[in-house]
Amino acid sequence: MKNIIETKKLCKTFSNGGVQQHVLRNVNLEIYEGDFTIIMGASGAGKSTLLYSLSGMDKPTLGSVSFCGTEITKMNTDELALFRRSNCGFVFQQVYLVESMSVLDNIMAAGLLVYKDKRTLLNKAGEILKAVDIDEPLWNKFPTQISGGEAQRVGIARALINDPKLVFADEPTGALNSHTGKAVLDTLTKFNEKGQSIVMVTHDITSARRGNRILYVKDGEIAGECNLGKYVTGDKERHQKLNDFLAKMGW
Amino acid sequence: MNKTLLLTKSNLRKNRGTSVGLFLLMVIATCLIGISLLIFMDCYPSVSREAVRLKGGDGYISITGDLEGFTDEKIAELFEDDTDSYYAYHDLKLSNHPVAFGNGEVVISVDICDDSAFERPMNTFEVITEDSSIADNYVYLPYQFNTSGGFKTGDVFEIDNSGKTYSYTVKGFTNVVYGGCNNTALFALVLDNDSYETLWNDTHEEFENINVIYDLKDGVKNGEFRIRTFNEILKVSPLAVTEGYDIDGVISNRTFIGLIIAVSFLVATSLIIVAIAMMLANSISNYIKENMKTLGALKAIGYTGKDIKSSLVVWFLVIAVLSSIIGIVLAYLVMPVFASIVIGQMGVPYVESFNLLATLIPIVYVILFTLVVTVICANKISKILPIVALREGVESHNFKKNHVALSKSSLSLNASLAMKTFFSNMKQNVITFIVLGFMVFCCVISLLLYENFSRKPKLDILTTEICAGVVTSDYDTREEVLEYLENRSDIKNIREIINMNVYYNDEESLFCYIVKDLSKMNNKNLCYKGRLPEYDNEIAVSGSFAKAYGFGIGDEIKIDYGDNSYDYLITGFIQTTNNSGREAILSYKAADHIMDIDNIPGWYWFDLTNESDDVDENIDEVNRIIEECEDKYGNHIISTMNFYKMIGGAMTTFQGISVMMLIVMCSISVVVIALILYLLIKSLVYHKRRDYGIYKALGYTSGSLMLQTAMSFMPSVIASAIVFSIVSYNVANPYISMFMRAFGLMKCDFAIPVPGVVAIAAGLTVVSFFLALLQTRRIKKIEAYNMLVAE
Repeated sequence: MKNIIETKKLCKTFSNGGVQQHVLRNVNLEIYEGDFTIIMGASGAGKSTLLYSLSGMDKPTLGSVSFCGTEITKMNTDELALFRRSNCGFVFQQVYLVESMSVLDNIMAAGLLVYKDKRTLLNKAGEILKAVDIDEPLWNKFPTQISGGEAQRVGIARALINDPKLVFADEPTGALNSHTGKAVLDTLTKFNEKGQSIVMVTHDITSARRGNRILYVKDGEIAGECNLGKYVTGDKERHQKLNDFLAKMGW
Repeated sequence: MNKTLLLTKSNLRKNRGTSVGLFLLMVIATCLIGISLLIFMDCYPSVSREAVRLKGGDGYISITGDLEGFTDEKIAELFEDDTDSYYAYHDLKLSNHPVAFGNGEVVISVDICDDSAFERPMNTFEVITEDSSIADNYVYLPYQFNTSGGFKTGDVFEIDNSGKTYSYTVKGFTNVVYGGCNNTALFALVLDNDSYETLWNDTHEEFENINVIYDLKDGVKNGEFRIRTFNEILKVSPLAVTEGYDIDGVISNRTFIGLIIAVSFLVATSLIIVAIAMMLANSISNYIKENMKTLGALKAIGYTGKDIKSSLVVWFLVIAVLSSIIGIVLAYLVMPVFASIVIGQMGVPYVESFNLLATLIPIVYVILFTLVVTVICANKISKILPIVALREGVESHNFKKNHVALSKSSLSLNASLAMKTFFSNMKQNVITFIVLGFMVFCCVISLLLYENFSRKPKLDILTTEICAGVVTSDYDTREEVLEYLENRSDIKNIREIINMNVYYNDEESLFCYIVKDLSKMNNKNLCYKGRLPEYDNEIAVSGSFAKAYGFGIGDEIKIDYGDNSYDYLITGFIQTTNNSGREAILSYKAADHIMDIDNIPGWYWFDLTNESDDVDENIDEVNRIIEECEDKYGNHIISTMNFYKMIGGAMTTFQGISVMMLIVMCSISVVVIALILYLLIKSLVYHKRRDYGIYKALGYTSGSLMLQTAMSFMPSVIASAIVFSIVSYNVANPYISMFMRAFGLMKCDFAIPVPGVVAIAAGLTVVSFFLALLQTRRIKKIEAYNMLVAE
C-alpha cells in the first residue's frame, strides 16, 4: 500500500520555565493512502501534537516527516502554508469557521487558494456542501446561525474542497452530542469510502470504530497498532477486536 | 498593595503596546501645547518686557524734512502737556532706503545714531553680541540682522546715498525697541562716533531727524495724541515729514509669526486630542472585550464595578501623568528651535525660562482630559453582570449582511478578504478616517503657508500693489521722467501711485495710496468687498479699520490732511497686513479735495515687459533700468525701489517658519498616523487572532494575511484622503483668514497648489499603507497550531 506520510525519529519537546517535556519520542510511522487512521491515547499522551506535526502545522524538535516523498520538516512557515493548501484538509473539534463569513464563503476562502476558476469552484463547493448534507438555504447563513453539527459538516466540506491528499481531524465530534456526532462520523466515513485518506485523533471508542487502522499513543510513543479492516455498521467482532486492543494498551 | 493599584499594575503589564501608543500620543500633544503656551506666555511677552526694560515708553514720533522751528522749547511745548516724560534727540533718518537683508533687500526707514544711543534715558540701545576687536568704522545692527538677516560680526554693511557708498564693519548686534524689526518699517543703526560724524557732515542737511520717545499721562489716547501732535508739527513747519508708532503696534508687528506658530500648534494639538479621545475610548472598549472573563471573575470574587473602573482610571492616569511630564520637558528641550524662528522675526533676544503656568496648564489639561474620557468610557463596566461577563458577555454575532461574498466578488482573493475585514471593523474605519483627515488638513494648511510665504510668496499680502520697480522723481522732472519711462520698451504699465498719511477724526492715521488710474493696478484682490473708488467723492478703506470704527460700505467718512478735510463715501474694503491694517485708497481727483495733487513729486510704478521666471534676472533687469534712470536724471531721482529685491528681504523671516511648519506638521502627521494605526492594528490582530489561525491552517501565508489587513484600512484611508483634501482645499483659506484678520487680512485667497494637495493625500495614503503593513508584522507571530490548541 502506498504511504502518504512517513516519519523518522519524530521528537517534540516543549520547554516551560526551564522544564523540558518530551511530548513525542522517536516516533516512526507511516500513514497509508485510502486509510482511515485513528490516533488514540489518554489525555496528554501527545495525540494532537503528533497530528499537527504530521500535517506541518507544528514543527517537530527532531526527526523528519515526509509527505508524499517531500520532507516537510525543512520547510519554512510560508512554504508549509503553501504545502497545506492542496495537500491537507483540517477538521477541528471547535470547528473554527470564520464567524464573519457565510457558510459558502468559508468554503470559498479555502477553495480560492487553489482554484483559479471561480465558477468551477462554486460548483464544487455546492456539490460538497450537498454531500455533507448542508442544504442550499444554509449556504448564506453565518456559522453562529447554524447548529454545531451543521457547522462541523461545513468544516468537513471546507477540509475537502481542495481535494487534499489527507484530511486531518482533531476530535471532530468532541464538542457534539451523540446524534450530531454520528452524522459527522457518517460523513467522514462516506468520504473515506470514496477513497479519501483520513487521520483522526479521538479518545472516543465509538468514533475510533470508524477507522481501519488504530494507532495508540502512550507517553509520546506509538505503543501499539491495530488493524480493524473496513468499517461495517454493527460488526461486533470488529468492535470486540478494538476493545481488546485498547484494553491491552491500558485504556 | 492596594487592590486598585494591583489591577492597574496588571493592566499596564498586559497592555504594554496600548500604553506605549497612548503615552506617545499624549507626549506629542503635551509637547505641542507646551510649545504654544511657552510662545504665548514666555516668548511673546519677552518683547513687552524688553520694551519696558529698554524704556520704550508709549510711542515715538520722528520729524524729518524741514526742521526749522523745532527748538527744544518747541518740542517741550508739543510734548510736555500730555506726557509724563519724553526724550528728544537728533540723528539721521533715511526714508524708504534699500538695505541688504536676508536673501535680498528691504526698503525701509533707517535711523542712524552715534554711540550715545547706548546711554539714553529712553529707547536705550543694548549690545547683545559684539566683536570687541573691531575698533573703528563700525556699525551695530539690530539683532534681527543676525537672526534672519544673514549678517554676522565682521561683515561689511553698506549705506548708499546719492551715488556714494559708505561701508562699515559690523561690530555687533543690538536690542532696540523701535527700529529692531523689519515689520515695524524701521531699522535703527549705531555708528562709531567718527563714522557718524562723517555721515552727519555729508547728509544732515537732507536727513537730519528729531526723534521723540514719550510716555503718556494716564487717560491720554496714543492715536489721538499722535495725530494731534502731527498736526501741531505741520503747523510749525508744513514741509516737516512725520512718522510715528505706538508701542502696542510695534509689539504686535514683532510677534505675529510667533502667534501663527502657537495657534497652528494649538490647532494640531486639538486634532491630536480628538485622536487620543477616540483611542482611549477604543482601548477601554477593547479592554472590556478582551478581559470579559477576568472582569466576571473579579466581580464574582467581590470586586465592585467601581474598583475595576478605578483601576482603568489609574492605569490611564499613570500614562497621562508620565506622558504629560515628559511632554512638557520635551517642549522645553525643543523650544530653542522654535524660539530661534520666532526670534528671527521678533529681533529680541529670548532666553528660555521656566514658566509655571505654561508648564502646569498642559499637564493639568492632559490629565483632566484623560480622567474625564476614561471615567465616561469605563462606565459600562459597572453595568456588566458577573455571570454575563463569565460567559464572555454572551456576544451575539449579528452579521446582518455577508459583505463582499467571495462567490460573487470580482475582486482578487486578498482584496475580497480585505474588504470583508473593512466592513466588519467600522469603528476602526471611522477613527482612521477622522485622524487621517485631520492630518491631511494640518498638512494642507502647512502647504498653504509654504507655498504662499516661501515657494511663491504671495506678494499682495505684503504690499498693497505689486510691481517690478518704483522710481520717484522730484516735482521739476515729473513730466519728463514719465515720458522717458513710457518710451522705454523694457517696461510697461507705468502707473502713478503716491503714498501719504491721511487722518480720520484726529484719532487714526491711514496710509493712503493715491492712484491716478485705478484700472492699472495689478493687485486685483485688493478690494475684498465692494469696489475700488471711481469718483472724486469715493474712498476704499481697509477692512480692519472699518471694523474697528463700525464703518460699512456706503457710509461717509471725514478724512483730514493738514488743515484740509473732506467727506468721502466708502465704496469698498481693502485688506492689508501693512501699517497695522490701517490703509486707504483714493483716486487722484478724490485726493485733490484735501491736497494739492498737481504739486507733488512723480511716483512711477512699473512692470517689466518681459518678466523672467528667474528672480535674479528680474532683479538685474530692474537694477539696470533704475541705474539708467538715475544716470539720466541724477539728483532729480529722489528714491527708487527694486521690488524683486525687496521681496527677497521681506520674505526672509516668513520662509524659515513656513518651511519649518511644513516639516513639523508632516512629521507629526506621520507619527500620529503611525501611532493610531499601531493601536488599531494591534487591537484588530488581537481580536482576529483566531481567524488568522484558521486562515493559516487553511494555507494562507503570513504575507497575504498582512497584505489583506493593511489593505482593509485602505478604503477609509483613501476616502479620508480624498474627502479631507477637498474639504481642506476649500476650508483652508477661510480657516487661515480667521487668524489673519488680526493682521488686516480679512479674506484670504492664498494659492493652494492642487498637485501639492494631491501629493499630500497620495503621500499620506502610501505612508499609511506601508505603516499598516509594517504594523501587521505581528500576524507573523500567530502560529495556527498554537492558536488552535490554545482555544
